[in-house]
Amino acid sequence: MKWRGILQNVSQRPKEISSMARARWRHGGLGQRLRNDISEIGRSAKSYCEHTARTQPTLSDILVTLVEMGFNVDTLPAYAKRSQRMVITAPPVTNQPVTPKALTAGQNRPHPLHIPSHFPEFPDPHTYIKTPTYREPVSDYQVLREKAASHRRDVERALTRFMAKTGETQSLFKDDVSTFPLIAARPFTIPYLTALLPSELEMQQMEETDSLEQDEQMDTENLALHVSTDDSGAEKENASVLQQNPALPGSRNGEESVMDNPYLRPVKKPKIRRKKSLS
Amino acid sequence: MPPTGLEPCKMNRKKGDKGFESPRPYKLTHQVVCINNINFQRKSVVGFVELTIFPTVANLNRIKLNSKQCRIYRVRINDLEAAFIYNDPTLEVCHSESKQRNLNYFSNAYAAAVSAVDPDAGNGELCIKVPSELWRHVDELKVLKIHINFSLDQPKGGLHFVVPSVEGSMAERGAHVFSCGYQNSTRFWFPCVDSYSELCTWKLEFTVDAAMVAVSNGDLVETVYTHDMRKKTFHYMLTIPTAASNISLAIGPFEILVDPYMHEVTHFCLPQLLPLLKHTTSYLHEVFEFYEEILTCRYPYSCFKTVFIDEAYVEVAAYASMSIFSTNLLHSAMIIDETPLTRRCLAQSLAQQFFGCFISRMSWSDEWVLKGISGYIYGLWMKKTFGVNEYRHWIKEELDKIVAYELKTGGVLLHPIFGGGKEKDNPASHLHFSIKHPHTLSWEYYTMFQCKAHLVMRLIENRISMEFMLQVFNKLLSLASTASSQKFQSHMWSQMLVSTYGFLKSISNVSGKDIQPLIKQWVDQSGVVKFYGSFAFNRKRNVLELEIKQDYTSPGTQKYVGPLKVTVQELDGSFNHTLQIEENSLKHDIPCHSKSRRNKKKKIPLMNGEEVDMDLSAMDADSPLLWIRIDPDMSVLRKVEFEQADFMWQYQLRYERDVVAQQESILALEKFPTPASRLALTDTLEHEHCFYRVRMAACFCLAKIANSMVSTWTGPPAMKSLFTRMFCCKTCPNIVKTNNFMSFQSYFLQKTMPVAMALLRDVHNLCPKEVLTFILDLIKYNDNRKNKFSDNYYRAEMIDALANSVTPAVSVNNEVRTLDNLNPDVRLILEEITRFLNMEKLLPSYRHTITVSCLKAIRVLQKNGHVPSDPALFKSYAEYGHFVDIRIAALEAVVDYTKVDRSYEELQWLLNMIQTDPVPYVRHKILNMLTKNPPFTKNLESPLCNEALVDQLWKLMNSGTSHDWRLRCGAVDLYFTLFGLSRPSCLPLPELGLVLNLKEKKAVLNPTIIPETAAGNQEAASNPSSHAQLGGFQNPFSCSQEEEEIDMDTVHDSQAFISHHLNMLERPSTPGLSKYRPASSRSSLIPQHSSGSDGTPPTKPPWTVELARKGAGKEQSPLEMSVPAVPAAPLSLFAKEAAASKHGEHRRRHEHKKKKKKHRHKHRHRHRHDARERERDREPFAFSSPASGRSARSPSLSD
Repeated sequence: MKWRGILQNVSQRPKEISSMARARWRHGGLGQRLRNDISEIGRSAKSYCEHTARTQPTLSDILVTLVEMGFNVDTLPAYAKRSQRMVITAPPVTNQPVTPKALTAGQNRPHPLHIPSHFPEFPDPHTYIKTPTYREPVSDYQVLREKAASHRRDVERALTRFMAKTGETQSLFKDDVSTFPLIAARPFTIPYLTALLPSELEMQQMEETDSLEQDEQMDTENLALHVSTDDSGAEKENASVLQQNPALPGSRNGEESVMDNPYLRPVKKPKIRRKKSLS
Repeated sequence: MPPTGLEPCKMNRKKGDKGFESPRPYKLTHQVVCINNINFQRKSVVGFVELTIFPTVANLNRIKLNSKQCRIYRVRINDLEAAFIYNDPTLEVCHSESKQRNLNYFSNAYAAAVSAVDPDAGNGELCIKVPSELWRHVDELKVLKIHINFSLDQPKGGLHFVVPSVEGSMAERGAHVFSCGYQNSTRFWFPCVDSYSELCTWKLEFTVDAAMVAVSNGDLVETVYTHDMRKKTFHYMLTIPTAASNISLAIGPFEILVDPYMHEVTHFCLPQLLPLLKHTTSYLHEVFEFYEEILTCRYPYSCFKTVFIDEAYVEVAAYASMSIFSTNLLHSAMIIDETPLTRRCLAQSLAQQFFGCFISRMSWSDEWVLKGISGYIYGLWMKKTFGVNEYRHWIKEELDKIVAYELKTGGVLLHPIFGGGKEKDNPASHLHFSIKHPHTLSWEYYTMFQCKAHLVMRLIENRISMEFMLQVFNKLLSLASTASSQKFQSHMWSQMLVSTYGFLKSISNVSGKDIQPLIKQWVDQSGVVKFYGSFAFNRKRNVLELEIKQDYTSPGTQKYVGPLKVTVQELDGSFNHTLQIEENSLKHDIPCHSKSRRNKKKKIPLMNGEEVDMDLSAMDADSPLLWIRIDPDMSVLRKVEFEQADFMWQYQLRYERDVVAQQESILALEKFPTPASRLALTDTLEHEHCFYRVRMAACFCLAKIANSMVSTWTGPPAMKSLFTRMFCCKTCPNIVKTNNFMSFQSYFLQKTMPVAMALLRDVHNLCPKEVLTFILDLIKYNDNRKNKFSDNYYRAEMIDALANSVTPAVSVNNEVRTLDNLNPDVRLILEEITRFLNMEKLLPSYRHTITVSCLKAIRVLQKNGHVPSDPALFKSYAEYGHFVDIRIAALEAVVDYTKVDRSYEELQWLLNMIQTDPVPYVRHKILNMLTKNPPFTKNLESPLCNEALVDQLWKLMNSGTSHDWRLRCGAVDLYFTLFGLSRPSCLPLPELGLVLNLKEKKAVLNPTIIPETAAGNQEAASNPSSHAQLGGFQNPFSCSQEEEEIDMDTVHDSQAFISHHLNMLERPSTPGLSKYRPASSRSSLIPQHSSGSDGTPPTKPPWTVELARKGAGKEQSPLEMSVPAVPAAPLSLFAKEAAASKHGEHRRRHEHKKKKKKHRHKHRHRHRHDARERERDREPFAFSSPASGRSARSPSLSD
């Protein structure tokens, strides 16, 4: 703060000097120098005074300092009494900013009995207790449905309009192509695939509903499994696993042999006609 | 000449003939079909067949087989080259130069052409001459092996190629081919005896690309790679004797699924569809179990295959041990609506495996037995699977359909008997087609035929009980399976053929009951019964006086005499009465059991033993009658119009437990728009135990009642509060719950109610604003995220509802429809439709149900004048490459546009599509839709009706549709709808206005000029000499109904017909030579044929007489037979002159003009004829056509 005031004053100095010098002032090289000098003066003066076991520097300390720094002290009074001298005004007194009262959030907890009362109070509860800060959600069913519906409709509308704008369209009105744009009908090479296979969205939904159901099933299965493992010891469990493993491929083999379907049989190699040539 | 002791085959099986006599002079025992090469790129097939036959007569020297489209390269019999002739009169029915345009004429000619190649009459397109070296061999009745090399190039019918135009190999593209057709159509893809009655064992071999699978009948014995390992050959053996018509084939890169429950059952589908296939067929084993259980008979074949293919000809086609389905029947577990439909198709096909494939029929007139039994056991399956309500509902639906059809067209005859060929006995004179052959039948008639057949089976069951019925079926099956395991030599195979007689005999043997009256009424006779009933209650006598009248004079009706059940619900309970309907008794007195006693509070017992409380305040205080039902069991094929008071209908709706009764009362309540009816309907709608279809019907009835009561209606629009209560959220009644379709009943109701509500109208005849907002809200809040099922059908119905709400636009000064003057409500609707239709492009729904509904809705908007009428949109959706349902919906809109806007251009576009579209089903459907919604009819003047159109349609049915029976019959139907039976009125008058009426010996105005006065029967019975002449020129058509009218054109036409058939050899599609023609009529004037009894080619040498069995009921005497054919030519020439001279003055004048035109043909005809006769003189078996210059010794026509 003070530095700025001094610098301001110092910067008025250039009126007395040439414009070149003023430019240099502005560039701050001299300002920096001045600041360094003044700091040095303060520091050295302080050292001298402390050297003589005092606490406050006196004029003589400053003089010694100045001399040490190579000033001609004698010229100082003349400089001070010069006619064009500008008075450095005291820096304006700024209002000390009022430190805001600490926000009390919630009530501080009193000390528990085992803590002596001279100990500091607990901090505000929010500093160590998790406070939910979100807004209460809209739980009104009607509003939600409304929102979901209009959201969905907006998305669909925007999407279809976009698709219509980027591709060929058909229109129901000859004079107006844009109000009800219909995406042009484009024949498929294999029309039945799109018509019969569920769309990805539907597949996803199916999986979701399936997984929900499966989860439920899994839960019950898991339970059952746990029960069974609890009954049997760890060794038994291992044994049963071992038994199951060979059983699994076995059952598969069995299935295959039962599923004797001519369409699953391997295709035969042609009979080689070389026999004829051999004979 | 070898033929000396001829034994003329007695062909016409009269009822009562038990054994089966083959119409052929030989018996087929085994056939090999080998297709070596299938080219998907060129759509061609190359292969050979080998038929093993045993002659049954010593002098067999010609063998007739069926073959259409095939190019035949070479025929060898026992390794000897054999001469052959290929002649197919059905290619062009009437000669193209003919100016004849009346449908009567065409139908007769067509029936004649079909019977000229009918295998059931021993005829065929392909006639092979047995080489003389083998005559001795034949005389010893030794086996003959006929080896025929053939190819098919771009077949238009019979085999259908589906080749998507994408990158990749044929297998990657999903290209496939399958056999298809209507009735016996196997001749379209390989030479055979295309009859259901000629059974033999089969060896089938198909060499296909290694990535493909060939599925065919019988057991797959082995699959072997070819030497280059790039192809493999599928070897099939079918050891159960099977008719060629039940042979099928499907080749494609199919995914294979072995049924997890029955490993001998294999399912095939196109690539990528395997998950759907798994789900769809997961149910099939239950159907198997059901049929095997009720028939107490194992499935007759050792394996079963289902193939799901694209562009199917019909949804379900059953062949021996294999069924071909439309791929569109496949569905995932999310789809509700399709599931029962697909299961029904599966069950239907399986029923036909037993009756239709395994057990075949003796002749066309026995078809009803097979269709009846398979339909009947399918009905039993339905009863078990979907419940009695569904079953009764279905029976009622089928009954209504057949009744409506018969009343419209004049009757469906199940068992036509063609005795004597006299047209007076013609059982189907009311129809515009012949019912003598399956191939001349209108498709609609055939579907109705099937429907009637199973209903009649049900009637038989009612009479003899189900137990006996099943015993009869079991008997038929066990006889057949015994026979099937026998060797050919045991002559047992005919046991596998069912005939009407055999079936009835089994019934009487098993049940001991005489069902002859029933058969006479419903099988041997066409028509349904129409009852009008009304009643009065006689309080004094406590008697119900019931009056039942019959209408048996209108077309399609018949008189019913016999028992009739009447159920009367009285206060004391329900009572059945059996009335005897007799000739003149109209009134029937039925004593009532209960006195009127409305004051006593007591529960009322119902038919099923249930006792209910009723509010009896609505009742007539004097009468104890609650409601009356006539024929509640539907044991007569009838339509009942019964009059009873509105409160009785209301009681019936509320308390009668039979769904049919409920439906009847709903229908009746439409006429009583009162608050009481409203209440009854609303209660039904709310009643959860009520059958869902009844509730759905109640919705629509309620809408109608509300509209009639519009001025007095109080409260919210009908059904709105109900719907809100059932399906909307409790807290916010305008928002529908998120979808949960677990309960199918409520799902169907939820779907239907808005559709019915949209039919509501306010006093200004507009859809109430409230209803429209309600439906729009339903669409808006529709949320399917938590649902296990797809909501595509539901959303589609919502669009239907929107379309239903549209009312005609108020048009000011006929202004052009633009966006600016769009009604705001319509704008909202259009907004939804646009969004839905666009979303479909991004997220297509199952079977594109939503697109279909959107297209329909757009057409409704156009029709009501909200949107400019324009077919362009529909035409783009109708293009090949869209899903078939979309195409049909779009085409329907175009058909409608054609009608409303009378657009010639669109009609032409449609007709063009009928000829060129790659999908047979679509072609058929366009014709069907045009027939149902014709642009004009015969009684209406229309700018569309002009000569060019007549010619175009004529050409279409005459020659343009020869590759597809169904299509041709469809074209005939359309022609009939547009122009009627006689000459179209838009044509200029025929050149000759007068006609010689030979019967009355006077000239009358040409009947073709006077429409619909079809100049009676001019059959010249009274004049023997003229009869001979007429017999001469009518002969080509004689086996069907004979000509009703003879105008001058006919004579020329018959000549044209002759010359046309001579020209046939120039046709690319007839690779053989037409040597003798069924139409070579003139020469039939030779004496031995003047009995006019047969339609056989008269120029044929007598050694073919055994083939000429064409059943006129008269046996040809040996004397006649022995008359040599040599003089035939000169005689015929003479006769021709004579015929010309006998036709009097005006005829000659006319002929003069025409002569020039026809001269060329006539000349040619004579020339050939003579040449041939001469040649025959020299060497009777070396027949050849002078036109071709090839002798019979070098028969290979093309290499």
